Amino acid sequence: MTAPKKISLHIDGRLCEAAEGQTILEIARANNIPIPTLCYLQGLTSWGGCRLCIVEIEGSPKIVPACTTPAVAGTKIITKSERLHNLRRATLELLFSERNHICPMCQYNKGDCGLQHQGYMHGIDGIRYPYLYPALPVDVSAKYFGMDHNRCILCTRCVRTCDELEGVHTLDVAYRGIRNRVIVDMNQTYGESLTCTQCGACVVNCPTGALFDKAAAFRGPLASCRQVLTTCTECPVGCGLKVFTKENRIVTVWGVPNSPVNRGHLCVKGRYQTWAEPRERILTPLVRKNGALQKATWAEALDTIRKAAKAAKKSEKALLVLPRLTNETAKTVTGLAGKVDRVGMHVATNEAALCAQPQYTADALTKLQDADAIIIIGAQPARDNGVLAARIRTTVRKRGAKLLIFHTRKTNLDQFADVRANIVSLENTLWSRVATTLAGIKRPAVVYGPDAMTPIGVTVMEQLIKILETNRGGQEPLLIGLPAGSNSLALAGAGIEAVEEVGPWLDAKPLKFLHIVASDAPDGGLKIMEETGVSAALPKIDCVVVQAAYQSHLTEAAKVVLPTAIWCEKSGTITNLEGRKLKLTPVLPLHGEAREDAVILENVFA
Amino acid sequence: MKKITGKKVTKKPVRKPATATAAPAPAKVRVATMWLSGCSGCHMSFLDLDERLVELVKLVDILYGPIVDTKEIPQVDVGIVEGCVNNNEQEHELKKLRSRCKVLIALGDCAVTGNIPSLRNQFQLRDVLLRAYEQTESTKISCIPNDPVVPVLTAKARPLQEVVKVDLSIPGCPPDADVIWYALTELLAGRMPQWTEKNLRYD
Repeated sequence: MTAPKKISLHIDGRLCEAAEGQTILEIARANNIPIPTLCYLQGLTSWGGCRLCIVEIEGSPKIVPACTTPAVAGTKIITKSERLHNLRRATLELLFSERNHICPMCQYNKGDCGLQHQGYMHGIDGIRYPYLYPALPVDVSAKYFGMDHNRCILCTRCVRTCDELEGVHTLDVAYRGIRNRVIVDMNQTYGESLTCTQCGACVVNCPTGALFDKAAAFRGPLASCRQVLTTCTECPVGCGLKVFTKENRIVTVWGVPNSPVNRGHLCVKGRYQTWAEPRERILTPLVRKNGALQKATWAEALDTIRKAAKAAKKSEKALLVLPRLTNETAKTVTGLAGKVDRVGMHVATNEAALCAQPQYTADALTKLQDADAIIIIGAQPARDNGVLAARIRTTVRKRGAKLLIFHTRKTNLDQFADVRANIVSLENTLWSRVATTLAGIKRPAVVYGPDAMTPIGVTVMEQLIKILETNRGGQEPLLIGLPAGSNSLALAGAGIEAVEEVGPWLDAKPLKFLHIVASDAPDGGLKIMEETGVSAALPKIDCVVVQAAYQSHLTEAAKVVLPTAIWCEKSGTITNLEGRKLKLTPVLPLHGEAREDAVILENVFA
Repeated sequence: MKKITGKKVTKKPVRKPATATAAPAPAKVRVATMWLSGCSGCHMSFLDLDERLVELVKLVDILYGPIVDTKEIPQVDVGIVEGCVNNNEQEHELKKLRSRCKVLIALGDCAVTGNIPSLRNQFQLRDVLLRAYEQTESTKISCIPNDPVVPVLTAKARPLQEVVKVDLSIPGCPPDADVIWYALTELLAGRMPQWTEKNLRYD
């Protein structure tokens, strides 16, 4: 590829250098020349719909939108003139008069609204057109956000976001002329939508209050919130989070635009499920007295634990952790190996093999976009790793990559798949179909999860590699190992044994003291309880200590429960599936009497 | 408009010596304020001028308004109106004020854009009345008021400019006391206030 030709042109009398094919708006932004916009958003295709970015070209009677007009060498562009100002102002007044923009009752006022901001910039102190006052619906059927058509300016940023960033194209516009409006699926509500992944990207990219977060409603303007950057610990992708807080409460969560991992995008888990979900948080230590868990002080709880720990021999003690811990806490855990009989990490079925041979591919998530075929084996990114799923979808839909899915469960990625096969029944006809699909593929990518480690999964892998090897000139496949636990690869790498079946692990040697670190698992460590034999094994142990942030059946089975920090209170690092070390920054101070995981472990085993 | 502002340009600098040397007091600007369909927040914000009110009364006389016990609108220089036009009485009063003032100022979002009272414009007037007087969950005796004394709601709640000519709009819900002060002092100095992103607020 040859580098694009350099051109130069004048914008507002300033000589600007640019590459051929760049739009006037891009060049102006690069040279810090402000041009007002509403529908333009970097990262989305330009649409030229709002007509605020109109500019004049000297010598031409026409005015053109800067966001869609490629610059021509030698032209002289004017971005500010009375004519342009009047036209922009008229456009804005039409937008204000078209729907019911009532700023005082909108949660995105006081600096959060693009329309309001442009109104201020253009000195609009009243609308010269009659207001239309259309009767428009408000859709609050979605779990985490709502859509208020009264505030919509039809910039279609949400439509393009849904199509180009999340790749599901749930949103589109319907009806003509003045009735034109954004619809969900086949003119359904958000709640009814089958395609919406609830990623919330449309809410972030809405310039007005038309799309709004329910949980953020009236908790304060985002412009006045404190912003802290941290990392999502809900899955091994490790997306950058920008958390907005006010008065020690989370107002909303956005993606970090320049994070190399997610580039501003988030899934429903990172954006909403961590904070917008009502959960019973454990705030003080709990000690079982007379058969019931009762509130206690730290001193009391630790005293109870130490007494029980003293009564047990070293061979009767065990420590079980969840793969959510930070790398720093992992060091503390491995340091405790000498004080207990065994240290285990509860992982998903078949995940231990994945942990045994960790496959870190640097920049895998960026390279994935260049793949011309994506093969998913034994993983469910659409359910577990929304950002990865979004990238797969956009690569398949926008860049024409082939998609092959080998998995037992159906997900919403299946509709885009060229080949979709159940991993348990593979026939010869399927392989010939796979071979035709993969013919001529140059840059394959393989996303494999724990279920790819089963004998049949390995067979599939081998068959695929064989097929891919027949492609001449093809690159080595890009391998993305996708564990189920957020940090299980790094924790296993630190030397913590991966335990798939907790029941037999507990029963291996009789135990008197068991410490479980459920940490901030949203289910409070319920997954451990669901393992075969665990609910029977726990009552046999004299002292079960659970350190968790949320209540569950597991905490109910404990003798002592210790409150621990949650994702927004943690510090440290986690290692994502690309092998990147990502920093966690405490967003809020520790709530109640909670302490950090490592501190509690040191307290207990002091 | 030009007439009074022209007067003030010369009067304003005289302000300080006037008290000191007991020269003949300059004619004060006559002001009427009016409260239509609004929450009174704009008048409250006006009172938020605090000690600046003392400065202001040296320059203006407030002859009519919710805080003045006058029944009839007098001839004034400036009329300041809060709230939008929601019924026939308000329309009548506003038109009367317009005919008796030289400059009419729309104060606050309700007067400028219709704001919260205009939320009802999405619905038919009949439905609005039914909802308010008959279908509300707490209603015991349902009856839409029909006494001829009670003003009749207009079909739509309208901002002032859809009813009369407005000379200056001060948006804001309510406008900041500083913004009101800026607008008034500019007018008294004979200039038109300039709205920029620094002093414009719609919320």
